[in-house]
Amino acid sequence: MRRIVITRILSMFGVLMLLTLAIFLIQNVLPADPVRAYFGRNATPEQLEAKRQELGYDKPLPVQYVDFLGRLAQLDLGTSLRTRRPVTTDLGDFTPATFELAFASVVIAGVLGVMLGLLGTRRGAGTGAVRLVSVMWSSAPTFFVGLLGILLLYRRLGWLPPGGRTSNTLEATSTGFLFFGRLMRFELAGVWDAVRHLLMPATVLALGPSVAIGRTLRGSLRDILRDDQVRTARVKGLTERAVLVRHGLRNALGPTLSMAGLQIGLLLAGVIVVEVVFSWPGLGQYLDQSIDRADFPAILGVVMVLGASYVVINTIVDLLQLAADPRLRSQR
Amino acid sequence: MTSDSSSRAVKTIATVSDLSVSFDTAHGRVHALRGVTLDLRPGEVLALVGESGSGKSVLSSCLLGLPPESRRTTISGSVLVSGIDMLSGSASQRRTVRRRLLGAVFQDPLTSLDPTMRIGTQLTERGVSAARARRNLSQAGVPEPTQRTRQWPHELSGGLRQRVMLAMALGADGKLPGPGVDAVFDDEGSPVLIVADEPTTALDVSVQAQVLLLFDRLRREHGCALLLVTHDLGVAASIADRIAVLYAGRLCEIGPTRNVLADPRHPYTAGLLHARLELDENAVALPIAGAPPDPLRLPEGCAFAPRCEHATSVCRDSLPELRSGDTGRLFACVNPLGPEAGSITVGAAAVRRAGAKPAADAQPVLTIQEVAKSFRAPGARRDRLHALAGVSLSVPEGGSLAIVGESGCGKTTLLRIACGLLEPDRGSVHWADGLQPQLIFQDAGSSLTPWLTIGTQVAERLRHEGSRRARREAAVELLERVGLDRRAARSLPRQLSGGQRQRAAIARALASSPRLLVCDEPVSALDASLSLRILEMLAEIRDELKVAILMVTHDLAAARHVAEEVLVMYLGRVVEAAPASQLFRNPLHPYTRGLRAASPTREPGRLAPTLQGEPPSAVGEAVGCSFAGRCPDIEPGCRERAQVLEPIGVDTRRQVACQVAVQKAVV
Ligand SMILES: Nc1ncnc2c1ncn2[C@@H]1O[C@H](COP(=O)(O)OP(=O)(O)O)[C@@H](O)[C@H]1O
Ligand code: SF4
Ligand code: SF4
Ligand SMILES: [Mg+2]
Repeated sequence: MRRIVITRILSMFGVLMLLTLAIFLIQNVLPADPVRAYFGRNATPEQLEAKRQELGYDKPLPVQYVDFLGRLAQLDLGTSLRTRRPVTTDLGDFTPATFELAFASVVIAGVLGVMLGLLGTRRGAGTGAVRLVSVMWSSAPTFFVGLLGILLLYRRLGWLPPGGRTSNTLEATSTGFLFFGRLMRFELAGVWDAVRHLLMPATVLALGPSVAIGRTLRGSLRDILRDDQVRTARVKGLTERAVLVRHGLRNALGPTLSMAGLQIGLLLAGVIVVEVVFSWPGLGQYLDQSIDRADFPAILGVVMVLGASYVVINTIVDLLQLAADPRLRSQR
Repeated sequence: MTSDSSSRAVKTIATVSDLSVSFDTAHGRVHALRGVTLDLRPGEVLALVGESGSGKSVLSSCLLGLPPESRRTTISGSVLVSGIDMLSGSASQRRTVRRRLLGAVFQDPLTSLDPTMRIGTQLTERGVSAARARRNLSQAGVPEPTQRTRQWPHELSGGLRQRVMLAMALGADGKLPGPGVDAVFDDEGSPVLIVADEPTTALDVSVQAQVLLLFDRLRREHGCALLLVTHDLGVAASIADRIAVLYAGRLCEIGPTRNVLADPRHPYTAGLLHARLELDENAVALPIAGAPPDPLRLPEGCAFAPRCEHATSVCRDSLPELRSGDTGRLFACVNPLGPEAGSITVGAAAVRRAGAKPAADAQPVLTIQEVAKSFRAPGARRDRLHALAGVSLSVPEGGSLAIVGESGCGKTTLLRIACGLLEPDRGSVHWADGLQPQLIFQDAGSSLTPWLTIGTQVAERLRHEGSRRARREAAVELLERVGLDRRAARSLPRQLSGGQRQRAAIARALASSPRLLVCDEPVSALDASLSLRILEMLAEIRDELKVAILMVTHDLAAARHVAEEVLVMYLGRVVEAAPASQLFRNPLHPYTRGLRAASPTREPGRLAPTLQGEPPSAVGEAVGCSFAGRCPDIEPGCRERAQVLEPIGVDTRRQVACQVAVQKAVV
């Protein structure tokens, strides 16, 4: 058991190393010259050459990679061409907003997914309609659903704000953990405000994953509820609820978790579109603006953060699956 | 209240009255049960027999109050357990009856326990204390109960899991939670009725005999009744007080075991009896003509009429009603058999197939020499599990060889090596002409491709048949040969029953005309008539097409029926090898004798004292005789010396790996 956990974690580090290698190689084949970009148009060739040597761009690739890793270890990802600030500083500013959005969206995807999955186990009039609507919303493009949401819930009904993280204009440009910060300080009105802002973008982001999770859960529940083990549970005189929760859901957890792991990858990709649509000051918007200006250090920084999150989250999902299914634990 | 115990004695604990169950399916309405009436008395064992599809499982799940679900399930009639209607009573009452009065054992021990819950929790979930759970485990014959409660289901063998299922049904200290039901409830809180649906079908003969003994003990010690669903009349004979025969959802015959087996009145009962393969030298077997009726199109009158020799126009016009015969027997037949029907008449069609002797100069199609294979032992870093420790065999062209032994003896590993699906650690495997044998898997049904129709899957292998159309036709023919019709050819695997899937898989393997068919337990899950048919078919293929057969089975009668030579394996070694006739007439190795004794016969009430325990783990190096731990004949010295195969007498085909047996044979 311990060996499996250690292997999984070691392999996570392996994949992370591959990620750094990929980013390093991309950086190298990119047409953009970071040194020229640093100086702007009117630099002399001597200046460029000196800076190149200073940054080690004349050394062989493997050596450059080691240098790259060294800088990475010191959280040095270069300087953003647009903001003229270290990329890591920028990332530090924008990541918390994205983290909060993604977190809220994972929670919503989980809750919605379980609801959809449970609904699917019942037979009855409404379930077909629910399935149809859920397929529709999950297959519509994210930006479309986002805009539709804004038109309806903000323009028409005025229930939710159209974008941003907060109504407090003083805090509008603030970075960091807004929601969690307010929660810690117990500012209830502030928390509510943050929730209202989170609600629409997080839900839009969660729609696709929630349907996928719901479908997986429904499928595995349906199979499990037909199993002999469930008959065994019923013969013990358990109530239907106990059968569903203790045996049905418990056994459906494994496949559902693995689907959730896959979906989190899609969710991280969707973050970019959603942040642009909802003017959410996170990594997505930062990326969008960096792409506009061909700000390669910034772009690669965002890719690195998103990629690493994906790898780490999937390792966590793997470990959770291990906890959910004792049969996986006894394999080597 | 004073007459409580005496009134209990005459009371029935379960009453099924005029029960009809039908399901709406995509193809139409299936009538699973059509007016079944029977009752169970306290402490009684009632065996429910019949071919697959006859409604046994539907009836047993109705007794549990858990009828199978379909788009629409229509139920009429009633099932009372301890006075509570298990079909229309309130949900909470039915739950209480289940919790307090019922236990269940299902066919597949692999799927009947929750894989994500420890054994202990699964036991205490019913409301019994942890201490009581341990006591129940040990009463159900589970060794080291305290450790077991901490284990997961996948860590236990099939036999142990079935015992856990039984332990789950046993009593509680004080009353189990739940209001209402007080009628029949013994002081120990033991179940009054255990419903066991093919509980031993997935088990070895040795473990089957142990589980049957356990049922018998629970009945005697706790007085709980048992509804035992089985397709093996031998299993029914060994333990049942009464036998009920079901055909196409109706009772054909019900009565005391001895009478039903000695002189069956209903032609179907007689057919089932005659279809049963026996180990007895002189027994003959005769499959029942035709196939069970299509549940969507049941005949008007007696459903057995199309297969019945005695059918008259009266039979076809009206449903025969149950009527009483002698000694508490009921049967539903207008032209019942006379009292001599139990003795097996050797009719023209009766089958007595000694394995045909292959030509003396026949070349082997498969030669295996001294193969050994070990795996990394689960959970251990260095220890090896020796699945095979040096096995040699050869199968002559057009010949047949059976390998018998309990599960875990290395039989499947050997077959996989024989087919080239697994590399041996050492030793050699040689196929004549380099032609790879065709393997029919143990769980053949699940080896079918789920999204292709059966017809397509068979046709796909019939490459030599020319046009697409010709292939389709040939496929249908092959399917008919294994007892499947045109509709099955157009069905997907999941639309077929387990038995039908098995047949389809066998048809598919036959489609590529191999020189050697390798079968892993080809008939262990099939009912008597069907398995006889399939064994017949295999023998025919061997004799007519000169396809050799290598078969693994734990059913000795099946081995005797098809093979001319038999190897007995124990813990990765061959412990006895002999021509089939000699082996079963005069088994030499104590293990072979144990297996033979554990095989059920049709003799009523014969519960064999049997092989104790299960094979030990094959982890690590064995010293001395590997059977020593379970051997009744053990002598000093057995544990010191490794036992190797030695020929007995002049016939070099007769070999045994037991020093004591060798000595006895020489004397
Ligand atoms: N791939 C494998 N890995 C580890 N152990 C195995 C593997 N295959 C078979 N075994 C073990 O080898 C032994 C023999 O198995 P098997 O060939 O399946 O016997 P049988 O067919 O008689 O049931 C068993 O203890 C089984 O658990
Ligand atoms: S009723 Fe007629 S057809 Fe049916 S079993 Fe009896 S004799 Fe055969
Ligand atoms: S060698 Fe001894 S222990 Fe082994 S089977 Fe023979 S009598 Fe039993
Ligand atoms: Mg096997």
